[in-house]
Amino acid sequence: MNPKWAMAIDLDRCTGCGACGVACSAENNVAVVGEAEVGKGRSMQWLRVARYWDGEYPEATAVYLPVPCMQCERAPCETVCPVYATYHNEDSLNAMVYNRCVGTRYCANNCPYSVRVFNWFDHKWEKPLDEQLSPDLTVRSRGVMEKCTFCIQRIRRAKETAAEEGRGIRDGEVIPACVQTCPPGALLFGDLADPHSEITRKLRDPRRFRLMEHLGTEPRVVYLKRQKGAGR
Amino acid sequence: MSGVVVVGLFEGIEKAEGAGNALRALPLAEDRITTLSSMPLPDGSVSRDTRRILFPRVTLIGWFVGALGGVALSLGTYLLYPLITGGKAIVSVPPTLIVTYEVAMLGALAGTVVAGFREMGLMRFRTKLIHDPRIHEGKILLCASVEPGNQAERAIAAMKAGGGIDVRSEEGEL
Amino acid sequence: MNGVSSQGGGDHLARTDQGGLYRELSRSNLPATKRWYAVVGLLSLVTLWGVGCFVYMMKVGMGVTGLNRPVMWGALIASFVFWIGLSHSGTLISAILRITNATWRAPILRGAEAMTAFALMVGGLFPLVHIGRNWRFYYMLPYPNSRQLWPNLRSPLMWDAVAINTYLLGSLTFLYFGMIPDLAIARDHATGWRRKFYTVLALGFRGSHNEWRRYHVASTIFAILIIPVAVSVHSIVGWDFAMAKVPGWHSTIFAPYFVTGAIFSGLAGVVLVMAVLRKVYRLERVLTTVQFENLGKLLCTMSLLWGYFYFAEFLTVWYNRNPEEWEVYRSYGGDYLPLWLSMVVCNFVIPFPLLCMRRVRRSIPALCFVSLLVVVGMYAERFLIVVTSLARRNDPFIWHNYFPTWVEFSILAGALAMFLLLYTVFAKLFPIMAVSDIQERLFQATDRVVGGTTVESIARPEASGEGGHG
Repeated sequence: MNPKWAMAIDLDRCTGCGACGVACSAENNVAVVGEAEVGKGRSMQWLRVARYWDGEYPEATAVYLPVPCMQCERAPCETVCPVYATYHNEDSLNAMVYNRCVGTRYCANNCPYSVRVFNWFDHKWEKPLDEQLSPDLTVRSRGVMEKCTFCIQRIRRAKETAAEEGRGIRDGEVIPACVQTCPPGALLFGDLADPHSEITRKLRDPRRFRLMEHLGTEPRVVYLKRQKGAGR
Repeated sequence: MSGVVVVGLFEGIEKAEGAGNALRALPLAEDRITTLSSMPLPDGSVSRDTRRILFPRVTLIGWFVGALGGVALSLGTYLLYPLITGGKAIVSVPPTLIVTYEVAMLGALAGTVVAGFREMGLMRFRTKLIHDPRIHEGKILLCASVEPGNQAERAIAAMKAGGGIDVRSEEGEL
Repeated sequence: MNGVSSQGGGDHLARTDQGGLYRELSRSNLPATKRWYAVVGLLSLVTLWGVGCFVYMMKVGMGVTGLNRPVMWGALIASFVFWIGLSHSGTLISAILRITNATWRAPILRGAEAMTAFALMVGGLFPLVHIGRNWRFYYMLPYPNSRQLWPNLRSPLMWDAVAINTYLLGSLTFLYFGMIPDLAIARDHATGWRRKFYTVLALGFRGSHNEWRRYHVASTIFAILIIPVAVSVHSIVGWDFAMAKVPGWHSTIFAPYFVTGAIFSGLAGVVLVMAVLRKVYRLERVLTTVQFENLGKLLCTMSLLWGYFYFAEFLTVWYNRNPEEWEVYRSYGGDYLPLWLSMVVCNFVIPFPLLCMRRVRRSIPALCFVSLLVVVGMYAERFLIVVTSLARRNDPFIWHNYFPTWVEFSILAGALAMFLLLYTVFAKLFPIMAVSDIQERLFQATDRVVGGTTVESIARPEASGEGGHG
């Protein structure tokens, strides 16, 4: 049976440190575009930590929301790509095919979560930074869309290992880079098709909600609402 | 119609009509008399078009052929490359309708061009066609396709009597 | 029906010197002057500059534009919609006015149809220009390949491809077919290389009765076919936006709204182009205030229609205050106020009252001023739709404004120059005035004495039931 990968983000635990974004960029050969380009709205981060201000100064508090690709079951980005560069694969993930993408950017326009990023330029990794590039992934050329893939290279690696050993994938065997790095452990990844996995148990929590659920995209990323009050 | 054509230039429709009537009285069949003019003359004013106009049927055929092409393009590509996108069905009906409609219109257009050009007798570059550039001075060229000999002479006489300028017999296609 | 009315005198064509009329109408086909070469040279330079900037953008990346996340579509897409919209001019004038038998359209026929064809050519380039990997554009074409990949025809961009292709071929056919009698006339008047040129293009048309009858039927069929295609093309362009989950784009009104806007901007474009042609080639006798006044009336109607559609859309969003959509509209009062004001003022507030005045419609300079405003206002409208809805979309954290860079401005200028260049060369080589249609109209017009006055009477051969139709 095919796994149904999902991610749980516990907003009670998220401190907004942004380590998840850094880990993602390191794992997935994501370019660092520099302050000027980010100022122009061209950050390449696949996973952004959105920050909203609640209240007015001096009582203002920050609300942090890590936003990866929601891997929507009914992904609006998939239908509008004229070349099938993005589609729904058998793992129920929203797959991105870099070498098919012609760069119309319609998928980015259709994503209500704005998780898709575009390669505005070719990127260079000056020596010795080019040695940090992961050989499991390509380096995308200019003109191509990219986005969070739930670290599909790690999923594939786990699938291959499990197939070699003649077993299914164990719970906790696939850990995306962001989940691996999150210091307070706000991120959790797992297979919803497995009734005993940690994520299935965690998502029984009544705090659960999905982002922009009214749009009918059926995201696979589930958030757990932040609760107010001391010690919680 | 090929063979011998008697032609004559006429100033004004009345003269051309008179001469046309004289030709018809020869007798000469209606489908052998026609005009060449710089702007369209109403049917029956000097000559009458006896043949039916058939190419609009090809327009319709072209529409259906195009529609088939459109269905092949959309439905065909959906079925040849079945990828799930956005949780939608592989066979998506409204986009199929849109693409089918557009290609159908293209087919109808192409059909009209091909059949229309043929029926109008355009693109006959190798045949010698009857023509007189003086029609652009407001004159009408009345043409009668005749049997050479007696009929041709009587036709020439009828046109000359009707006020024709430069009445002559020419070899060529109408 | 004969050419002589017993009550007043011959038809107008009979008392026109046809040779002189032809010379007057074909002034644009005279051998090129220094001034013409200078204009063509300047336009070529600007076009080349635009092409050069496009190549630069292709080599360095889309980052040289002002685009960003979330505004992934900007001036280039607004221009795409704008040029496709401008192309609706010819269809309206040639096709719709032909079917409704509006005889005043004869002098502006060719100019409007040419505008359609060239606006489509220029507009059709933009989808190729704005994509990230232009050199792989052929992935969007359905061709059999070894990897058995096909394009996704669910995408509105593919509907665009099919529709614009059909419309381009259709309008080129329409343009060429309409020119055939005029090319025949040109052939008969021409000498030298021009004679050969027109002989080939006229396809042997001579004006025989059979040819004319079938020509009329074919023209009517083309007109009937091209109108639904034109409507569907701009509906599909509107659906590029309406199919998206972008607040402010996802509106059912977009298809008719865009078609209306297209006809509106197309009419304004025709007024401008015709005014220039009239001046440059001294066609005052043929392009009279009748043509411009009627265009002005149409423009007035379209301005009202545009205002109506826009108000209807605005009203639904304003009344509902759905937060996602309302943020887009709130930006009209903030960062995008100048743009929004230009749109409303240039599309409706100034044009509509002015065009209601007969004095304005009968004055060509005034009409040109209004048309220029409309063209600017319609571009602002396209820009507003494309950019603001993206700039203020769902997640406020990534909101970002957009302004085009010099690269985009250059490409836009190059596109305009390309259109003008194509048009200028076309006017030099091909008959820009529909001579045969003008002659036909003169032929159908007689003076009829009614009591104590004389009025112009137009014959309608189609109405009087001639037989022999297939």
